[in-house]
Amino acid sequence: MKVKLRLGATDGWVGTPDGGSHYIWGFVDLTGVPENKLSGFRGKAQLMAPPIVLKVEDEVYLTLTNLGTPDRKGLKEPHTIHLHGFPNQIPVYDGVPEASMAVPVTRDLVYYYKPLDPGTYLYHCHHKPAEHIQMGMAGPLIVRPRDFDPTDIEYKTAYGHGTGTEFDREYFIFLSELDGTIHNLVAKAQEPDWTNYKPTHWLINGRSYPDTVNTTDRFPGQPWPAAVGANVGERVLLRFVNLGFQQHAISIPGVDFRVVAVDAVRLQGLNGEDLSYFKNIIYIAPGQSMDAIFTAPEAPDLYPATLPLFNRNYNKNTLAGGEMGGMISEVRVYAPGTLPPQAAPSL
Amino acid sequence: MPTVNLWATDGYVGTPDGKNVYIWGFTDKEGGAAQLPGPAIIVKQQPYLIPTVVTVNLTNKLAEPVSLVFPGQGEVRVNGQPAQPQYQGDKLVSFINHALPGETITYQVTLTGPGTFLYESGTYPHRQVQMGLHGAMIVRPPDYLGLHPEKQTAYGRNTGTEFDREYLLVLGEIDPGLHQSVEHGLPYDTGEFNPRYRTINGKCWNGTVSGDGDGHLPARPYGSMIMMEPGEKVLLRCAGAGFESHPLHPHGNHARVVGLDGKLLQNCGISGTTDLSFKRFTILTGPGQTCDLIYTWTGPGYEPDTNPIPTRLPQIRKMALAPTGLTMWSGSPYLGVKGELPGEIESCNQIGEYHFMLNSHGVPGITGQGAFPGGMPAMIAVYPAGTLEPHHGMLPTESHTP
Repeated sequence: MKVKLRLGATDGWVGTPDGGSHYIWGFVDLTGVPENKLSGFRGKAQLMAPPIVLKVEDEVYLTLTNLGTPDRKGLKEPHTIHLHGFPNQIPVYDGVPEASMAVPVTRDLVYYYKPLDPGTYLYHCHHKPAEHIQMGMAGPLIVRPRDFDPTDIEYKTAYGHGTGTEFDREYFIFLSELDGTIHNLVAKAQEPDWTNYKPTHWLINGRSYPDTVNTTDRFPGQPWPAAVGANVGERVLLRFVNLGFQQHAISIPGVDFRVVAVDAVRLQGLNGEDLSYFKNIIYIAPGQSMDAIFTAPEAPDLYPATLPLFNRNYNKNTLAGGEMGGMISEVRVYAPGTLPPQAAPSL
Repeated sequence: MPTVNLWATDGYVGTPDGKNVYIWGFTDKEGGAAQLPGPAIIVKQQPYLIPTVVTVNLTNKLAEPVSLVFPGQGEVRVNGQPAQPQYQGDKLVSFINHALPGETITYQVTLTGPGTFLYESGTYPHRQVQMGLHGAMIVRPPDYLGLHPEKQTAYGRNTGTEFDREYLLVLGEIDPGLHQSVEHGLPYDTGEFNPRYRTINGKCWNGTVSGDGDGHLPARPYGSMIMMEPGEKVLLRCAGAGFESHPLHPHGNHARVVGLDGKLLQNCGISGTTDLSFKRFTILTGPGQTCDLIYTWTGPGYEPDTNPIPTRLPQIRKMALAPTGLTMWSGSPYLGVKGELPGEIESCNQIGEYHFMLNSHGVPGITGQGAFPGGMPAMIAVYPAGTLEPHHGMLPTESHTP
C-alpha cells in the first residue's frame, strides 16, 4: 500500500514533575495538514516523537518539513530523518548529512522506503546527532507483518502467523534521558560540552514518573503516558526502544518477559527454531530495540492490581537525583473483560 | 612457529582539534615510536591436534614495569616458566610476569583457536592500558586460504564465516588529562576518568575515514575506512580496548554477529540448532570484549534509466550540504554516478560510491573534546561492483612469520 506521511521538525517545551520546564527540538505529525495550516504547528514538537506504524511491503513516502524553531529565531538548524535499522537503504533516504543532505528551514525532503521485515525500529534526526537526539528528535517505528490482522487472534502478531509472537495489547517503552543543563544551554544558544553529559531526568515515552502514569490530557508536548494496562491473562507486547545515551535495565517484578526479538530480528535459529527466552530485566543499550511479551498475572482480590515498572539502575528513578521519579511506570491488571480492545499501540 | 618482537615505548598522537597527546604503546620496529593500537599480531593456527605456540619477546623501553596478558588464550609461559602474578611486597603490581625497564622478557602463548582477541599490558592496567599499551591479535583457522571463496573464513570452512574483505576496529577512549598527568609525572585519579575522545584504531573522526598507512597518522597505521562492493561479506573485527561499552550502529543493514570474545557462536550441545549467530542493528562491544561481525549491503538496485528512485529530489543547491565542511556524498542518488554539487562544496567522494555511517549510539561517543563530530563515527563505503581490488581491506594472512 502506498503510505504518505509527513513530519514537521520544530521546537517546543516539556515539563518534568519537579516543576521544571525544558526546551526541546522534536517532530510533530503533519500528515494530512493543509499547506496553509502548517505554521500552526511551529513550536509544537512532541516528546517522544510521533510513533510511525507501517506494514511489510508498504511503499512509504515520508516527507520531512523543517518548520524552524520559533523560540530560537536566529537558529537555522537543518534536520533529517534517519530510519534506524532499515536494511539496504540508499544514502539519500538515510538521513546522514555527511553522506547526503539535510533539510534547511522552510524546505522539504521526501524519504522513501519499502520495509520487508517486521519489527520494532526507531527513527531520529542525524544532523549533529548527539545534540539533536538529546534535544528530543527521536521516536519509535513499527513494521507490522504482511499477514497482520488485529481482529484475528492468530494473526495479531509482532512477527507473523506461527512465529509465537501473538499479543492482545502492545505498548511502547521508549527510553531516553534529559540533561536539563544541556537543554538550558541550547535554549540560550550556547554550545554544550558533551563530555559533561549528565542527565537530570530519565524518561519513558517522553515523561518522568509520576507523569508517566497520568492518563489525563494535560501534556500537549508529551502526549504519551507510559502506563501499561491489560485484562488478566492477556498477552502484552512491550516494544522497548532506547534512544538515550545510557544503558537501561527495565524490570516489572512479578512478571517474566519473554524476549521474542532484538533489533527487529525475531529470535530464531537457522532452521526456524524458537530461540526466545525469559528475562526478569530488559537490559538495553542505546540504539537498540527489543520486543518482549508477558502475560498479565492473576490477582483475584486486587483488580485493578498495580505492578510497578522501573529501572533497576535505581539512580535513574529520581527527579534530578532527589525524590522518586524518572523511569518508573505501572502495569495495571484488570478483571477479565474490563478494558476494551486497543485501537492503537499504547492507547 | 611465529615469533613477534615488541617494544613498549612512548610517543604522541594528534587529535582533530590540533592537540598532541602523549601515549605509551607497542611497536614492532626497534627504535620505533609507540603505535595506537599496537601492531596487530596475526597468526595462523596449526592443523588439528598440533598446538600453536606464539613467542612474543617484549623489550621494555619505559621507566616502569610492563607486561603482556593474552585474554582468551591458553597456557602462557614466561622465560620458560609458568606465568605468575607479580607483587611488590604485598601489593599487586602485575597480573603476569613483567619486564623491568630495559629488560626483555619472552612469552610463549598457546593459542586456543581462531578468532579476534586483544593483547594488553597486565601491569598497572588502569594506567598502562589507557595510555595505549594494547593491541589486537587475530588467529586464523588452520584451513584459511586468502581469496578462496570457501576457505577465506574467520572460524574455518563450513562455519558460515566466509568473508570477502575484513577490517579491524579497535575501540577505545582517550582521557587527555590522565595522559598529561602521566607525561609530567603528576598524580591522577582514574576514578575521575573523563575520556574526551573516543577512538577507532586510535583515531577520531575524521581520521576514521582515512585508509591504512595514512602518512599523516604514522603512529596509527590501521584505517577504519570500510570499503566494499554490493553483496560482499565484510568481516568487522571489533575489539573493546577501553573501559567503556560502545554500541556501534552500522547504517545500511544489520550485521550478523558470528563470534564473541574470539569464540564462534555455535551450540556446544549435540541437539538443537548449531548456528547461534544473530543479527543486530546495534552491536555492543564491552570492555575487553571482541565481536566478529559480518556485514552485507546489497541495495535496492536503483539505476537512472531502468529503475529510477521513486521520489523527485529537491534542488540540491537549496538543501543543507556538508555540515562539517566536507561531504562524502557524490551529489547523485545512484551508485557509481557523480552528481553536481555546488562548487563551494568539498566532496571526498571518488566515483559515486555510497557512504553509510558506522557510529556509536552512546554519547559522547560521537563527539570529540565535547563537540560533534568527533570520536567514533566511521564510514562504510560501498563501491560499484568490480571497482575494488580483491585484496582491498585485507589484513595479511600472517603478520610476523619470516
